[in-house]
Amino acid sequence: MFSYVLKRFLVALPVLWIIATFTFLLVRVVPGGPFDAEKNLPPQIIANIKAKYHLDKPVHEQYFLYMERLAHGDLGVSYKYVNRTVNDILLDAFPVSLQLGVCGLLLAVAIGVPLGTVAAVNRGRFPDSIAMFLTTVGVSLPGFVVGALLILVFGLYLKILPVALWESSRHMILPSLTLALGPAAYISRLTRASVLEVLEKDWVRTARSKGLSNSATIVKHVLRNALVPVATVLGPLTAILITGSFVVEYIYAVPGMGRFFITAVSNRDYDLIIGTTLIFAVLLIVANAVVDIVYHMLDPRMQTGG
Amino acid sequence: MPIFDDQISASTLPLYDHWCHSLTFQVSRLFHLLTLQHRQSDYFVKAEGSLLSSRLADSKIFITFLLALITLSSCGFKSTLVEPNTLRINIGAEPPGLDWHVATDSTSFDVVSNIMVGLTQYRADLSCAPCCATNWEVLDSGKRYIFHLDPKALWSDGQSVKASDFEYAWRRLLDPKTGAQYAFFLYDVQNAFEFNSGKITDARLVGVKALDEQTLEVKLKKPAAYFIYLTAFCPTFPQRKDLIEKWGDRWTQADHIVTNGPFLLDQWRHEYKIELTCNEHYFQGAPALKRIKMFMIPEQATAFALYENNELDYVDNRSFSTPDLERYRHSSEYRTTLLLRNNYIGFNVTKPPFDNVKVRQAVSMAIDRTVFPKIRGRGEIPATSWIPPGLLGYDAKSGLEYNPEKARALLAEAGYPGGNNFPHVELLYPSRNDVRLVVEAVQDQLKRNLKIHISLQNQEWKVYLETLHRDSPPIYRSSWGADFPDPETFMNVFTSHNDNNSTRWKDPHYDDLVSRASAEQNVEKRGQLYEHADRYLCREQVPIAPVFLETQNVMVKPWVKGMELNKLDIQFFRNVSIDESLLHGVHAGDKGVTH
Repeated sequence: MFSYVLKRFLVALPVLWIIATFTFLLVRVVPGGPFDAEKNLPPQIIANIKAKYHLDKPVHEQYFLYMERLAHGDLGVSYKYVNRTVNDILLDAFPVSLQLGVCGLLLAVAIGVPLGTVAAVNRGRFPDSIAMFLTTVGVSLPGFVVGALLILVFGLYLKILPVALWESSRHMILPSLTLALGPAAYISRLTRASVLEVLEKDWVRTARSKGLSNSATIVKHVLRNALVPVATVLGPLTAILITGSFVVEYIYAVPGMGRFFITAVSNRDYDLIIGTTLIFAVLLIVANAVVDIVYHMLDPRMQTGG
Repeated sequence: MPIFDDQISASTLPLYDHWCHSLTFQVSRLFHLLTLQHRQSDYFVKAEGSLLSSRLADSKIFITFLLALITLSSCGFKSTLVEPNTLRINIGAEPPGLDWHVATDSTSFDVVSNIMVGLTQYRADLSCAPCCATNWEVLDSGKRYIFHLDPKALWSDGQSVKASDFEYAWRRLLDPKTGAQYAFFLYDVQNAFEFNSGKITDARLVGVKALDEQTLEVKLKKPAAYFIYLTAFCPTFPQRKDLIEKWGDRWTQADHIVTNGPFLLDQWRHEYKIELTCNEHYFQGAPALKRIKMFMIPEQATAFALYENNELDYVDNRSFSTPDLERYRHSSEYRTTLLLRNNYIGFNVTKPPFDNVKVRQAVSMAIDRTVFPKIRGRGEIPATSWIPPGLLGYDAKSGLEYNPEKARALLAEAGYPGGNNFPHVELLYPSRNDVRLVVEAVQDQLKRNLKIHISLQNQEWKVYLETLHRDSPPIYRSSWGADFPDPETFMNVFTSHNDNNSTRWKDPHYDDLVSRASAEQNVEKRGQLYEHADRYLCREQVPIAPVFLETQNVMVKPWVKGMELNKLDIQFFRNVSIDESLLHGVHAGDKGVTH
């Protein structure tokens, strides 16, 4: 296991370097700069600002400077948020996104897996139709519609949950639900298809013929095998959910890092763009590695990394 | 129905919270016990296959969830009460920085203006009143200012505000190493430009000097009649050398920052909330508010839902849509004020067909400005002059009035009768819905009134800015907001040397008028010069066609007293208070108060 993790780590390093390099170059190609503002500044002031942030240097020098800092774990400075480093910004925002993302992920799995299983076990019957209707709605409705609906129903009409903000655990319920519904629907459809496939296997028939109850067969034998494809999507899904959602954070005024994926680009906040991209890449790599390990746990026949 | 809905009051809040937590704790315990029982019963089901036990276990889970739901609803968001002596507002976004030398945006200034004060401060009518300076002398025909500081003015750590704090602050603002975008505001000060651009390196040569602890001398390179307004503007506020040197870039953090204004920075939770507390030792008297919570809610619908739920006390244009505004327009909570922000259609006078003044005049006269308030719906004021009402030199008749017939005649004189042979041009605008409505209306009016077709081109904000500054198109839409309440801030934009003049129009006569007006100490003569310049700009040469002035619209809860709006759109909360008698029985979650 240790050698596997080490191997994945060594492969990840050049991947991250390539991502950082490409992002570094791409952000500089985009028209408009970090200091373009409605009030155009005198040239000498632009020169002062560029000198302060080393943007007056040739691109290759800027690149080496950035890589040197990056090698020391320094993701650079924000051009938009004065006196704040990218590390500061992400350290402030990431725990919030992580908290929200984990809640969303757990909810998505807690809703999606049982719903998909129930639908598969009752294939073609009423519960299946209901489950499939719900998942179609869940997949089709964008987050901003779901968010607005939940605010309207639970916040404004029923008044049992806060409309927005990030003050207490109660404030986490609606954002988590909004974040979870789409993935839950997706997981549900995937689980249904997978469970249906496994239910056709000979060994399921054998288990039933030996007198094992239906629920025990489903829980102990079917689900375990059916969850392999679900685990596959959980890897990237985890990375997506815990790095924050722009829509959910925007609607509920949650101070997570999802917004930086959008605002950093519109602000041309170069280092912040690279920082958020790298964080996402790292989480994606880690999540995929974890999924590989989970594969092995779910089905020992599978070779780790194989 | 939530428990304690009507009985709860602010004083019982801690008890209520405790009760909620206790109930939650009890429910958690119950949940835990039931889960244990369920586990046992689950085992029992497996062992004995008892359907009854299974159902019992399921019903226990159901009851547990029901209890949890009841707890949730009873301890719901109504625990967020309307808070006494606390003002809750939405500033829409994270302030990019609270270092008032580096900040340039209105969000940062909304915060800084309440925690810091300068030599002077704005009255409600935007005239300058003494603040850290009790009085000042204008000497040498307006080229030298002597400010006498109030010895009672204190920093929040108890130290006196000294003239040397201003001397240090202004030199820091101009220091190239600071990289301050607003350093150019002090370019009227002797040697300021030279120091900022690196031509001289000795900061002592800059014309600002602390003569003693209470006296500050400022030397200008030429008289600037508007100079006093700059002393009320955030970038010229004093700073503490010792603290900046001690904390470096971290000096603006809530636990390090030292300020001299009516409020103190208590908490700064990035991208979420800033909390200010009352400065009990503020030298002009402690404000009535004990606390201000400034939330950073970017989504208008969310912010307005919070306002309607009594979770915000004050919201402005950032926090509601036009339909929301319509619903509240006749409410006693609604207020509006004109802003010193003018919108205009700009012409690049170096590119055909707008290199012909008659074409520019024709386009300006073909635009009916009265449509803009209707399509934008925020109470905009149609404008034909560049200087807004309320400022020196304003004349409503400075610009060209709407006259389609005359516009057609001018276009014909320019060589495009009936719009024939008019070249294809694209009107550039930033990708924003409210702007799109404006340019579509302009496009429509030019087609109807002049029979010319212009196409529209939108660009993402930063791309648009770069295009405008690098190679502006023949026609574009833009706007300009005042930094200080003086016509200079508007008129200077279209002088030949100004980097914001994307029209590329260079006119020595106009430059001369504006230069003379900026130095003129006689108010009446100064007004006449600006009026003349405005007419020359908007009626005779027309590199721009002003179209409308923006407004600030706000909703204020009835219990918020003393909220004054101003045309600069800076929110000062020093005189704001909360009428506690109106808070009685009001909860977060109670909807709409006065309509």
